[in-house]
Amino acid sequence: MFHDPRHIFEAETSKPQNVSQTLRRFAGYFRPYWRRYLGVLVMMIVSTWAAVTAPQLLGQAVDCYLVPPAATAAFEGVSPTLTVQPPSASGPAVQATDSACWYAEVPLTATTEERINGLAGLVLRLLGLYAIGSITTGLMFYWMTTSGQRVLRTLRVEVFHHILLLPIGYHVAHESGDIMSRVTNDADTIQQAVSFALIQVISGGFLIVWVAYKMLSESVAYGLVALAMLPFMVIATAWFSAQARKAFRRTRVRMGSVNAELQESISGVREAQAFSREDENIASFRETNAANRDANIRAVAYTSALAPTLEALGYVALALVAVAGGYALLEGQALLGETVTLGLMITFIAYVQRFNQPVQQISVLWTNIQSAIAGGERIFGLLDVVPDLQDAPDATDLPPIRGDVVLDDVWAEYEKGEAVLRGVSLRAAPGETVAIVGPTGAGKTTLISLIPRFYDVTGGALTIDGHDVRQVTGASLRKQIGVVLQESFLFSDTIMENIRFGRPEATDDEVIAAAKLANADKFIDRLPDGYQTSLGERGTGLSQGQRQLLAIARAALANPGILILDEATSSVDTRTERLIQSALETLLRDRTSFVIAHRLSTIRHADQVLFLDQGRIVERGTHDSLMAKHGMYYGLYMSQFRRQSPTEGGDGRETRAAPAPA
Amino acid sequence: MKRSPTSPAPSSLTRAIRYLGHYRRETAYAYGALLLATSAQLMVPLLIHRMIDGITRGVVAQQTAALPATVQAAIASRMGITLAQLTQAGTQPVQALVISGLLILVFAMVRGLFSFSQAYMGERVSQSVAFDLRNDLFSRIQRLSFSYHDRNQTGQLMVRATDDVEKVRVFIGQGLLMATSALLLMVGAIVILFTLNPRLTLVVLPILPLALGLFLVMGSVARPMFGLVQRKLSALNAILQENMAGIKVVKAFSREPEQEQRFQKAADDFLAQILKVMRLMTFLMPLVFFIANLGQAAILFFGGRQMILGTLSLGEWQTFSLYLMFVFIPVAQLGFIITQMSQASASAGRIFEITDARSDVVEAPDARLLPTVRGRVEFENVTFRYFGGGKPVLERVSFVAEPGQQIALLGRTGSGKSTIINLIPRFYDPTEGVIRIDGVDLRQVALDSLRSQIGTVLQETTLFSGTIRDNIAFGRTDAPMAEIVQVAEAAAANEFIQSFPLGYGTPVGERGVTLSGGQRQRLAIARALLLDPRILILDDSTSSVDLETEWRIQQALIRLMQGRTSFVIAQRISTVLNADQILVLDDGAIVARGRHEELLETSEIYADIYSSQLVDDSAGVTVDAAAAMATES
Repeated sequence: MFHDPRHIFEAETSKPQNVSQTLRRFAGYFRPYWRRYLGVLVMMIVSTWAAVTAPQLLGQAVDCYLVPPAATAAFEGVSPTLTVQPPSASGPAVQATDSACWYAEVPLTATTEERINGLAGLVLRLLGLYAIGSITTGLMFYWMTTSGQRVLRTLRVEVFHHILLLPIGYHVAHESGDIMSRVTNDADTIQQAVSFALIQVISGGFLIVWVAYKMLSESVAYGLVALAMLPFMVIATAWFSAQARKAFRRTRVRMGSVNAELQESISGVREAQAFSREDENIASFRETNAANRDANIRAVAYTSALAPTLEALGYVALALVAVAGGYALLEGQALLGETVTLGLMITFIAYVQRFNQPVQQISVLWTNIQSAIAGGERIFGLLDVVPDLQDAPDATDLPPIRGDVVLDDVWAEYEKGEAVLRGVSLRAAPGETVAIVGPTGAGKTTLISLIPRFYDVTGGALTIDGHDVRQVTGASLRKQIGVVLQESFLFSDTIMENIRFGRPEATDDEVIAAAKLANADKFIDRLPDGYQTSLGERGTGLSQGQRQLLAIARAALANPGILILDEATSSVDTRTERLIQSALETLLRDRTSFVIAHRLSTIRHADQVLFLDQGRIVERGTHDSLMAKHGMYYGLYMSQFRRQSPTEGGDGRETRAAPAPA
Repeated sequence: MKRSPTSPAPSSLTRAIRYLGHYRRETAYAYGALLLATSAQLMVPLLIHRMIDGITRGVVAQQTAALPATVQAAIASRMGITLAQLTQAGTQPVQALVISGLLILVFAMVRGLFSFSQAYMGERVSQSVAFDLRNDLFSRIQRLSFSYHDRNQTGQLMVRATDDVEKVRVFIGQGLLMATSALLLMVGAIVILFTLNPRLTLVVLPILPLALGLFLVMGSVARPMFGLVQRKLSALNAILQENMAGIKVVKAFSREPEQEQRFQKAADDFLAQILKVMRLMTFLMPLVFFIANLGQAAILFFGGRQMILGTLSLGEWQTFSLYLMFVFIPVAQLGFIITQMSQASASAGRIFEITDARSDVVEAPDARLLPTVRGRVEFENVTFRYFGGGKPVLERVSFVAEPGQQIALLGRTGSGKSTIINLIPRFYDPTEGVIRIDGVDLRQVALDSLRSQIGTVLQETTLFSGTIRDNIAFGRTDAPMAEIVQVAEAAAANEFIQSFPLGYGTPVGERGVTLSGGQRQRLAIARALLLDPRILILDDSTSSVDLETEWRIQQALIRLMQGRTSFVIAQRISTVLNADQILVLDDGAIVARGRHEELLETSEIYADIYSSQLVDDSAGVTVDAAAAMATES
């Protein structure tokens, strides 16, 4: 939000990318649909055949049915379409030949009626050919797009799976909006490519090969002249593609930041309004948005130049064919050892023009393909992030937890060299409640995050019932641990489903029982639709306290072997807290639990109290023993006592808070 | 933004296209280039024709050079040229050929230049339109009231600003230009055809309305389908967004398999909808191509018939059929564009749905700036219902906070405390009743002037990516460093900020360091303090800091609240003890009010809350403290 756009993506643009590798990976995804592609190939051959045969048939209509009358009408038969023989010294200079007609035997004496009927027959055939062309193109399109869409779906699901696999640490370090952009925007570029572009490019390529083949088979020399521009076209395409891809990579990254800023600003819109920050946010978004626009404009400069360049090269080829052929014809010389007829020249001019069409087609859609490759690189880039916190290859399922948790000289750090925990050792016997106290930033949340293995220890070991958490599967571990976090995250779903999140197979009755246990049932009953009330995003519509109650119900429903409460009751009013306190007591009983609490009442009932300061346990014991020690815990406790002292009198009627000097 | 209900709404796509008006010059350039490039394209057959003619004439002239002049003249007239032209063609045939060749090259370059300009400017303008659309969407989203955001998910709003905008952009950048060029080509070709052979042209024409009708059907069928595609994509994105925001909870409960299933289901839904559209396209697109080809076949038959009957010459027919291509290729193109158009139209609808969304909290047209507030806040019979329905969350709440007073709000979870607090900066409007500050109805003042005088610490603290300094200066970006440090000190945050190696420059937010709940909260407090507001709102503001820090914050707050009207949702009696007025809420109504001493006597609920607090903390403290003192002595 207060961004400096430059620093965000430097790392990414400079990464060298291997296009063929990206394409190979794509190919891997398309492999399961190889049968369809075989079908597509067949259809492509058929449709290309139809595409080249139709004009031939069209020509035959002229040669077989239309020319003879026209020729007879033009007494000497001078017509541009007629085959003109090279000038010879003797005989009639210009001679019409019927040899061009191979479609049907049409005697020169055929009546008008017969000719029209013949023509009608040919037109019907032509229509049949068109129908075949349409149907094959349709099928081709269908197989390509549907398989493309399926591939995309696979890719999306895979990316999602991977996102959930990535450790919390990765999510903390990366903007979620940018990661999301890969699943939506980058995937969308691929979608555009697989829908139309790919098929057009491939069938265009087919047509080019076909036309080239036809030209060479008619006259190698003339064909080579006509194809002389092809290498230049290939070079131009390669160069522009390379440039475009570079530019598109930048656009994908910029789009990622647009997405990131959107996600941050929309989810933080309440703060923005509370602080009248809208204008600043809008201005900041404008900047990111403009960077995206500019990157795109730069990219299209390359892609828009490609098509005209190729078209111009195509016209050069056309001019070359016409001039070279015409020159040979007029000068009566052979072209590279082959004679050129006017008919051949006209045919070649037609060929070169036909050549241009697929070249154009390809170059226009090339943009989409380049963009898709850039998008694909980003998706694969995310998939290639190896979660540094994975199940060990030989990980076993953690057997049902008894609850013996041991931390042995545990060190933890988020950033290299900045230890958050420095050699913490503790043991929680099954069923014990361990309270963790200490100043903010002492490492309390880090400590409890290690138990469900949100992070890995960087030194020492954490075992549960003797199993190192790194040796068991994450799922079996976390399923048996219930966590109520500081911020209770709710999904936009019904209250029922939000509680059921703790144990998806739970029945409605069990959900309601859990809600009762957490004392959430009272407020739920008062909601218009009770348990079926739909919550907004992150549980909007509920107060923080209500959300916390739901989070507690959720943990209760999970019935975990180990329970972790991170300031679970901080936002509940004291009466409600008192109510859930008893519920929590039931919940805590016979379960190993770790509680971060600022309310000393919770701490007093703990079997162990650990005072954490700067990543070390500086005091440990029970509440009573620590009080007796007069150490840091005592100091913390007394500060609380001091603050609360006015109410000490029981009715508290006579005094007001008398703040002690800081 | 209000549209009168009587005037017909322009279609969303038209509205989107009107954005081109912001870039008149570039657009004119793009379309001018398009015009030139298209007319150049229409020249192709002419150029080639001319060249072939030149060669043919040259060959004929060479061959007939020996023949008598009368025969030559007859041949020339047969070819539709004069003898002089034929002779000339024979004299410098190669030169003419080279000139024709060069002409084609020049033409190719010109055409290339213009089609580049057209494509580039078209894309450029479309990117600019996308830029505008996104900005408009973003501004609107930023300003829509809380209740709008209560109902809409971030993930799905994001799709509108990204994917939907992109769909519209692609159409404006490519489809619209392509359609224009196709139509231009088609009309131009039809005009040329008419001049060539009106009768034959009439044969072609009936096919056009057929194709057009098909397009209309296609468009109207496809549009809602595309709308659904975007909806499904939004649903997909919402799941994604939610999972990323709640990744900790998902992992904590190891619900990855269920979430993956959820996502997979959404992905399948999305796929199914796309496949539906694709199936329709598979059926319709070949049909369009077929119809285009049908026209060619029809011309071949009817033209051929005319030729056989001797009413049409081969040359005429050839030129005719060359231009015929320019009628039917655009038809096929339009078939392609029509899908792009219906897609864009569906997306444009979704975009304008947001930009047109009426915020429940609207500034009055004659809203005036709220002068510097003294701080008298008055609620008069305020009733509030979420989403305008259901049981009221607040019912007929009235109270007056005098300038400088400290108002404590008490009540159980969900009793309406947060609602009262959200009404003061006008995040929501009351369903009934009036709220006044210094006697001015909130609905009559400019929002900015109101909110900039209220400091708020909301229940949840969202930090934005940026440095700690940026986050404290959130409401006043230009605040000097000294002031920032000062408020951080007041919020007991300076100490932990300084403990970071980068101090105030430490990055926080999504990509920054992880702060604990207590640290985040102190930044939020500092953020509010920096505004030096006349009215201060603290919502659960000291709930998740440790006791020592809380105590220090309390001291800071007590000093801070002096002279400001402040509303505090407090769960600690100690805060309440200092209050000038305590409002005890239950079920959306004020059930008791007064100072601590009065309430203890008069209000059972208050006494209950109070005693629960005593039981909770102080009683234990008392006992333990006594014990502690006993051990001490």
